[in-house]
Amino acid sequence: MNAQRLGTVVRTELAHQVRRPLFVILLLITFLVVWGLSSGNVTIESGASQVGGQKAWVTSEFAVSQTLIFLTFLLYTFFISVGAGMGVIADEEARVGPILHTTPLTPREYVWGKFLAVLAAYGLALGAMVAFLVFFHHVVPAGENAEYRGPLSLLNYVRPALFFGVPLLVFMAGTAFAVGELTRRPVLVYFLPVVLMFICAFFLWDWSPGWLDPRVNRLLMAVEPAGLRWLSETWVKVDRGVEFYNHERVGLDALFVFSRLGFIAVGLGGVAWSARHVAQGLRGAPVRTVKGKTLADVPPATPLGTFREHAPLASLNMGVRAPGLLSGLWDVARVEARGLLSQPGLYLFVPIILLQTVVQSLNAVGPFDTPLLATPGHFAVRSMGQASTLVCLLLMFYTVESLERERAYFFAPIHDATPVRTLSVLLGKAFANSLVGVAILMVTWLAVSLVQLAQGNVPVSLVPYAIVWGLLMLPTFVLWTCFVLAARAVAGGRFGAYGLALAVLCLTGFAAVRGELNWATNWPLWGTVLWSDLGPFELDRTVLVLNRVGALGLAAFFAALAVRLDGRRAPDSVSLLERLKPRGLLSGAWRLTPWMVVPAVALIGAAVQVGQGWQGDAAKKRAKEYWQKNLATWKDAPQPAIQDVDLDVDLEPEAGTFHTRGTYTLVNRHDKALESFALTGGDHWEDVRWTVDGKESEAEDRSRLYVFKPVGGMQPGTVLRVGFDFHGRFPRGATKSGGKVEEFILPSGVVLTSFGPSFAPVIGFLDDIGVDPKENKYEPRVYSDRYYEGQTEAAWGMGTPFTTRIRVTGPADYTLNSAGVLESDEVKDGRRASVWKSDHPMSMFNIVAGKWTVLRGEGTAVFHHPSHVYNVEEMRRGLNAARKYYSEWFYPYPWKELKLSEFPGLATYAQGFATNITFSESIGFLTKSTSKANAVLLITAHEAAHQWWGNMLIPGKGPGGDVLSEGTSHYSALKLAEQLEGPAMRMEIAKRLEERYAKDRHLDAEQSLVKLDNSREGDNTVLYDKGGWVFWMMEDLLGREAMHAGLQAFLRQYISSADHPVLQDFTAAMRPFAKDAAAYDAFVQQWFHEVHVPEYRLSAASVKQEGAQWVATVTVENTGTGRMPVEVAAVKGERFPERTEEEAAKGPATQSPDYRDARKTVVLGAGEKAEVTVRADFAPERWVVDPDVRVLQLRRESAVLKL
Amino acid sequence: MLSLRNLVKVYPGPVAALRGVDLDVPRGMFGLLGPNGAGKSTLMKILSGLLEPTSGEVTLDGADIVRNPEALRPHLGYLPQEFGFYPYLTGEAMLLYLLKLKGVTAPQGLKKLCAELLERVNLTFAAKRKVKEYSGGMRQRLGIAQALAGNPKLIIVDEPTAGLDPEERLRFYRLLAEVAHERTVLLSTHIVEDVAMLCPRFAVIRQGRVVAITSPTDAKAAIQGTIFEGTASAAELSELQRTRRVTQAVLFEGRNRVRIHAPNAAVPAGFERVTPTLEDAYLLLMKDEQTPAEASAPVHEVAR
Ligand SMILES: Nc1ncnc2c1ncn2[C@@H]1O[C@H](COP(=O)(O)OP(=O)(O)O)[C@@H](O)[C@H]1O
Ligand SMILES: [Mg+2]
Repeated sequence: MNAQRLGTVVRTELAHQVRRPLFVILLLITFLVVWGLSSGNVTIESGASQVGGQKAWVTSEFAVSQTLIFLTFLLYTFFISVGAGMGVIADEEARVGPILHTTPLTPREYVWGKFLAVLAAYGLALGAMVAFLVFFHHVVPAGENAEYRGPLSLLNYVRPALFFGVPLLVFMAGTAFAVGELTRRPVLVYFLPVVLMFICAFFLWDWSPGWLDPRVNRLLMAVEPAGLRWLSETWVKVDRGVEFYNHERVGLDALFVFSRLGFIAVGLGGVAWSARHVAQGLRGAPVRTVKGKTLADVPPATPLGTFREHAPLASLNMGVRAPGLLSGLWDVARVEARGLLSQPGLYLFVPIILLQTVVQSLNAVGPFDTPLLATPGHFAVRSMGQASTLVCLLLMFYTVESLERERAYFFAPIHDATPVRTLSVLLGKAFANSLVGVAILMVTWLAVSLVQLAQGNVPVSLVPYAIVWGLLMLPTFVLWTCFVLAARAVAGGRFGAYGLALAVLCLTGFAAVRGELNWATNWPLWGTVLWSDLGPFELDRTVLVLNRVGALGLAAFFAALAVRLDGRRAPDSVSLLERLKPRGLLSGAWRLTPWMVVPAVALIGAAVQVGQGWQGDAAKKRAKEYWQKNLATWKDAPQPAIQDVDLDVDLEPEAGTFHTRGTYTLVNRHDKALESFALTGGDHWEDVRWTVDGKESEAEDRSRLYVFKPVGGMQPGTVLRVGFDFHGRFPRGATKSGGKVEEFILPSGVVLTSFGPSFAPVIGFLDDIGVDPKENKYEPRVYSDRYYEGQTEAAWGMGTPFTTRIRVTGPADYTLNSAGVLESDEVKDGRRASVWKSDHPMSMFNIVAGKWTVLRGEGTAVFHHPSHVYNVEEMRRGLNAARKYYSEWFYPYPWKELKLSEFPGLATYAQGFATNITFSESIGFLTKSTSKANAVLLITAHEAAHQWWGNMLIPGKGPGGDVLSEGTSHYSALKLAEQLEGPAMRMEIAKRLEERYAKDRHLDAEQSLVKLDNSREGDNTVLYDKGGWVFWMMEDLLGREAMHAGLQAFLRQYISSADHPVLQDFTAAMRPFAKDAAAYDAFVQQWFHEVHVPEYRLSAASVKQEGAQWVATVTVENTGTGRMPVEVAAVKGERFPERTEEEAAKGPATQSPDYRDARKTVVLGAGEKAEVTVRADFAPERWVVDPDVRVLQLRRESAVLKL
Repeated sequence: MLSLRNLVKVYPGPVAALRGVDLDVPRGMFGLLGPNGAGKSTLMKILSGLLEPTSGEVTLDGADIVRNPEALRPHLGYLPQEFGFYPYLTGEAMLLYLLKLKGVTAPQGLKKLCAELLERVNLTFAAKRKVKEYSGGMRQRLGIAQALAGNPKLIIVDEPTAGLDPEERLRFYRLLAEVAHERTVLLSTHIVEDVAMLCPRFAVIRQGRVVAITSPTDAKAAIQGTIFEGTASAAELSELQRTRRVTQAVLFEGRNRVRIHAPNAAVPAGFERVTPTLEDAYLLLMKDEQTPAEASAPVHEVAR
């Protein structure tokens, strides 16, 4: 290589690169984005912003690393790919190659020069980004953001740029260069970064379930080009607190260093390879010499002309008939498809998109991070968002490039002068390109079906795909393609078209994220439809159809626009100006109006439906009125309690309607007379009539808060019967933009609860109606430290339990379940009437109905969709065991039967109403268990536990209350898992809960259990996972028998009490059962009142043989906080070896006979160390901390040391 | 009959490529002769409906081509000056595709027709090769094949002989001459010889204006007896070029052979009267500021 020539190439190319609009735009965007970011607070999610103390700085090395990775990845990869990848292609299109390569310039100099120039240009851009960041962080006054700014340290900026920015840029530039050079296809160059972005954003960056093998995780960290996965998995996932992030450097490890070097090597390797390829291309393709052949045997490329006299041309009898629309379309499509097949990109993108959608959708997780089974319909819908976005991008690139092809190959003048119709050309090309989309969907279907076949439990089917992809997604593609055609016609070229189309895509995405899309505007149907195997798309069917018709209509409009604008005749600038004058535009628009009719009618229709629907503006306004009118008087106003509920509910699932008649028997339990009381009714109720003690009553309707003023007031202890009669459709009208709906009456199923006024009135004012988080959010309530003293009101339900009689009628083929025991069940004239009566008082009630098959157990029953048989056996087993053991351990189950019923998956939740648990289909019924972690059992056991924790015992309202429902249920589930599946299963599940806690907690925002109020991010995992663990550890401390005795006493005390307990009441109630009160108090202080988690590290391990024995020593350190007795064991062999599904089906895992361990218990506080020595009569292989998984801790997987 | 009336084309700049062209092109072969940049290609693009003129009128047998370019397309054979094909198709597939796009029909079927056409442009041997492997001349011939396909009323060929070897050029002339019987063929070129061989009539175009419409014979007759040839030294030549109208000056055996136009027959010593060639006539037209054709041509305003 000649340095001078190389230098010339670099200089020329660099000058070109930095002057390109592309580059200038990039700098501009960077500037704007950095500015925008700096005015907000984009920082490590340490939750710190919520608490008063120290804030996480945006200027720390960690925060800068994250910002820099995002910016580099989102902005620079695309630009550098285009910059690097298009270089050789552009030279080729401009045909400068032959002249360039006849100079002394060598291919290596040419290639490396170009590459280095691009790299230098974007290196400059990276420098500019760093400069902008420094400028906005440290030079521009911070104003109210001052507390987010730390002192300037240049290293905080330079290190991230070097560690994360540079390897990524080299890698992207190198690969894009190689791809561009090798294939000479612009599409590939554009798509490369887009695909990479998707893989990272949707898979590599965030897919990290608890059960992921650490080796796989490390591999994923190594292959993730941006380094973000490494950063978050290594440093951020387990929250280390603001102090750490603000002051520490990002520590590198070998994995990171080697993988970054690897990326650089791949990038440079790509360039080196390109250099060779260019050189080869100049020399021409190598020809394999054929043995024994001489030059004479090889025919000349051009044979000597043969002068034959021809019959005159006229004798060929040629004629013309201008090609018709369809035949033209067909011809164009065929040739286009041929061109497509010759594109290598196809063979790259199809597998990538395939992998992306399939992996993404198959890896979906349900409640408690449990994996889900992919039934065809659920898979089809789940893959929609990804598939539609990716295929739209692909279609955009392919369509535009295909339209540009004539121009690029100089074929346009001949092509455009032929009589083929423009519409044929546009649609023919679009059609051929959409085959790519179709191919991707077909292959995806095939792949998923193969996976399903291999798994062997879910049936393979085509119908759901045909419905979801064919009817819902295809119109999106048609619309998008036609829009891209129009965009190109309007913008007049490649980049204009990309700009317009990407802008529309981004705007739609932005609106989607902000929740501003509705059925009229949500053209890609993002996040709208949910699948249910029980009956798809019953909700919002009309608006869905209108939306799709609108999409197709718009497609036709855009096609018409494209044909009108896509002149094959270059317009004259003068007449163009004429046409751009208002008059010209108007007349042009006027001619397109017929095409607007269909989409306008359909979309306006959809908008009207949305407006009138229950999430529409009118409904919102009415809800706000309810809030405004009644807040002051009725919030927290004393109300009578329910003594008895008598309901008669008539359901028409096909029509989505109901009719309720009933009576609440109310009693004033307060010691003062109530002048008036109020019931909240539903916005969807019609012809509402009330009676009081059997007499027609005119309740005051204050925007659906019905106020009753009994003559003379309601004296303490008085009983009063309020009767009601109303009907309605539920939910009424369309949703705003689809998505989850919690309660509904649909042909495929009915779910109604007494939490809201859906089918029965609710006592008092509901403070969440009409509250918009943006407009009138409540200030969080402040609780005093001793708020729980005296009588605490119930966190939910109506305070004290009451009796119920609920009569449900519906079509005969439905099973109609409600709370209590089935008193009678009759079918008359095709209508079933089921009467449910509480055999023991309850505090809430619900109705769930469906066309089910039932599987009955011992006092239990599972009602399920006939085809959802995968887990019902296991669920019944769980219910049976829960009923049996929870009754033994906690409190006898007071009701006769424990039912569990399935409802359509329009929402993902399970609710444990007394005797009548409801599961959405995606909970439990479609959960995927593994031989190691029985997720179905976990979920069933948890929900069943709510019969005790949440129904019989309703916790008090206030901080820490919920832990007595969710934490206890998790604890119960752990116990049940151990009972049924042995300790190995309990350990495995406990580890997963622990990992979820480590991953989701926000260290600086984390509150102790007694302060937990579910208001902060990260509270959820504390509530469930830490909660479950703490009760488990308490059992360890007290001993199993004492724990059971304590829980039983606690439940006896509080089940029928008007005072509802919170954690302080609980810990007080348990204290007498502790043998060592001091230890108990320390435990309660540490785990309930404070936030501590130990993290153990092992070091300095040694072993020596003494006769027949081995003496092993290790140092244990608690690098976390908290003080717990923990076992340290020297072990040999695998304790619970991997088992196959069949082995697992036989029963609980048993400890391997080859396994040996020798243990010692240590008690270590924060930062304390201890040397542990054990004697063993086996040769230990490794040290393990907490072999039985009994102490909640961080990064357990690192608390292992090989000997 | 193809008629152009007052055709003006102004490109953004603005630069005027056509400055008011009036032309009637009868049936048969018609040449459009002019130097590089005269506006020939611009004119042809307008005729083929690829470019909207700034103003003016074009009709073919009474049909308005400017208003309604689509109407002409089925009846048009067009060979642009610069063009390419899909490189990934074979020559045969490419031609077949074009036949379909043009809606060409033939009793023997398109496949056969395709083979026949390739035979006529001597590409049978390369029919199955990808177009990207074609040489420049081969590509040009494929272009010719597609331009002749169908039964076009109007064939427009823009500098068609560029890149053809003499043999192929002759072959092409034959083909063109053959088809020109029944239709209008408009041939643009900057090579006088092309016109001389092919065109009974032609127009000379310069700087966006038609400066003459004539036939080779008439053009030569008009300057009969006014062309003189002699030798001159380099110094003499530059003197001549200042004072006389030199039509051609070529080096012949190391000395300048100079032809001058002298209507009044006053010539330097050693110059002899020779038979004028078409080249002389053309070059004179190019030299003249004021030619009879232009003098009589109406001066048009450029655009609105
Ligand atoms: N797209 C264009 N924009 C601006 N000027 C153009 C364009 N196309 C051609 N020209 C100019 O118009 C003049 C006529 O060009 P053209 O018709 O190609 O000439 P010819 O074919 O006779 O050589 C030239 O000066 C050329 O530079
Ligand atoms: Mg030209």
